[in-house]
Amino acid sequence: MSVHITTLDDRVRLRQDDSSPLSTQEYFVNMGPQHPSTHGVLRLVLKLDGETVREVIPVLGYIHRGIEKMGEHQSYRQFVHLSDRLDYLSALINNWAVSMTIEKAANIELNDRIQVIRTLMAELQRIQSHQLWWGVFGMDLGAFTPFLYGFRDREIIADIFEETVGARLTMNYIQPGGLMYDIHPGFVKRVKAFLQYFKPKLAEYETLLSGNVILQERLRGVGRMDGQTALSIGATGPVLRASGVPLDLRKSEAYGSYGKVAFDVVIGKNGDCWDRYWVRLEEMRQSMKIVEQLIDNIPEGKHMVMKPAVKIKLPEGCYYNQVETARGILGVYIVSDGKESPYRIHLRTPNFNNLWAITETAANWRLGDLVAILSSLDVVVPDIDR
Amino acid sequence: MMQATDKQENPTRSGLVTAPELKRHGFFRNVFSGIKSLLEGMKVTFHYLSHPSTVVTQQYPENRATLKMMERYRALLTMIHDENGLHKCTGCQICHDNCPNASINVVTRSNPVSGKKELDRYIWRMDSCTFCNLCVQVCPFGVLKMDGSFEGAVYDRRLFVFTLNHYAGPAAGLLAKVADPEERKKMIEPRDRYSGPVPLNGQELAGVKALKKAESGCCGGSGGCCSDSQGSQGSKEMK
Repeated sequence: MSVHITTLDDRVRLRQDDSSPLSTQEYFVNMGPQHPSTHGVLRLVLKLDGETVREVIPVLGYIHRGIEKMGEHQSYRQFVHLSDRLDYLSALINNWAVSMTIEKAANIELNDRIQVIRTLMAELQRIQSHQLWWGVFGMDLGAFTPFLYGFRDREIIADIFEETVGARLTMNYIQPGGLMYDIHPGFVKRVKAFLQYFKPKLAEYETLLSGNVILQERLRGVGRMDGQTALSIGATGPVLRASGVPLDLRKSEAYGSYGKVAFDVVIGKNGDCWDRYWVRLEEMRQSMKIVEQLIDNIPEGKHMVMKPAVKIKLPEGCYYNQVETARGILGVYIVSDGKESPYRIHLRTPNFNNLWAITETAANWRLGDLVAILSSLDVVVPDIDR
Repeated sequence: MMQATDKQENPTRSGLVTAPELKRHGFFRNVFSGIKSLLEGMKVTFHYLSHPSTVVTQQYPENRATLKMMERYRALLTMIHDENGLHKCTGCQICHDNCPNASINVVTRSNPVSGKKELDRYIWRMDSCTFCNLCVQVCPFGVLKMDGSFEGAVYDRRLFVFTLNHYAGPAAGLLAKVADPEERKKMIEPRDRYSGPVPLNGQELAGVKALKKAESGCCGGSGGCCSDSQGSQGSKEMK
């Protein structure tokens, strides 16, 4: 097997077929890095034939901040706050991934209270992330109203976080050894109020967007990807599950308190945009189910099992751990040489792999469908580049 | 879809939910159900249009008086000073060491009277701070807190680097042990918000005058109250 390496230069060189007067001309167009529907600085080089997309070449690196390298110069405790800045819509879940890796490596035992609060926070974050995605998805397809509705409902969860965590986006709340603060006395009340508020709103989402004939026609059968392809490119999360593969770490590894609650893994049938859309909507319902089961019986206990100023040193070796974020599997790989900061940190981020689904799914669809497909993959660009 | 059955190692109490198939009907039924779906969507938006009570928009600059941030909200690092204007910082530099991006510089001095090491200036760089809250957490004396005053925008980036403590001298506990009020006065030296020994801390830049001490003096109480005067002052400086 040989590896064929191409540069962007090679790939954008056109080989025109002028043999027939009917042959059309292909051309290249840059979509991004500032295109509004790429949600950030993602650059896609499109090979177009008229309005038909022949090839999509993602070009990365516009928001590369070297988080992995920075991690080598920071203590384990300090690194957690950088994980907020990967997939900023799953900041708490990213915190959890890093903290859990460190805790497993350092053999830190956690009590039930910490686990339950972490699970609650992660599920609220998942709902919040999907709310934002739903709004932006509608906006990408030309409906501005969902964007406002999505943000309106997201605000309520942002308030819950603001009260307990003190931040709305970059949390740094889940830390090695526990949580930064105990939950605020008003937390349970607020979460219950949110559940009561959001259930009818979710039905409204269905009426407004899911039932809309224009949306259905734009999503049905568009950008199909079968389970085998999705697995081979390493797609995870709702993108993989929409292709019919029921891989959900919350179920298969049951970390945190997921083993104690009943919820369903949501999968799609065809792996098209409609399935990816529906899987996320249903996941919000499942997350609410998890929150409902946990919110009434948060066990007593301390919120931090170790002192915050204690330096953490991991024994020499390699450690890997993964969690299910709102977009898929986030894996944290730490190589430790026994010092206070890691020798090497590698992050296996969900969006990086999910993005490559666009090369498989978007070919031979129209430019307008490309926007729908890209939006249905729900990529967060800072997570791709780190 | 062949994977749907295997790979499910832990089938605890629940299974799978599968996305529904979108159905296509005959032409006329499609047209009517399509129009109906659009009207249902319109009904939702018209409901909001006709019900002003559902408006959630905050009129921000106008609602300043009633707008209250949550108590844990992290917007501005402040050093807690008690009613006598004393802080508890000993200058131990634990926060300095724990800051992930070197936003905190704790400058110490030896006291002119007792010769003991103590806090001279606690300089915080708001521009590079990520508000991770580690400094507040690691402080063994509970000196710091995150304040909710979020209106931090200024016209001059030097205004982002400032001194948090109001005086250089021993911590409140040590000072209380000194009985003689005259000696106590000698141990303390006031510190203003700017003009510290760190680059950008109110100092002269190429083409920009140094911030004057009188102008840059803090209004004394909670750190956030200066933000307005900072802004106007910064703009003055820029001219």
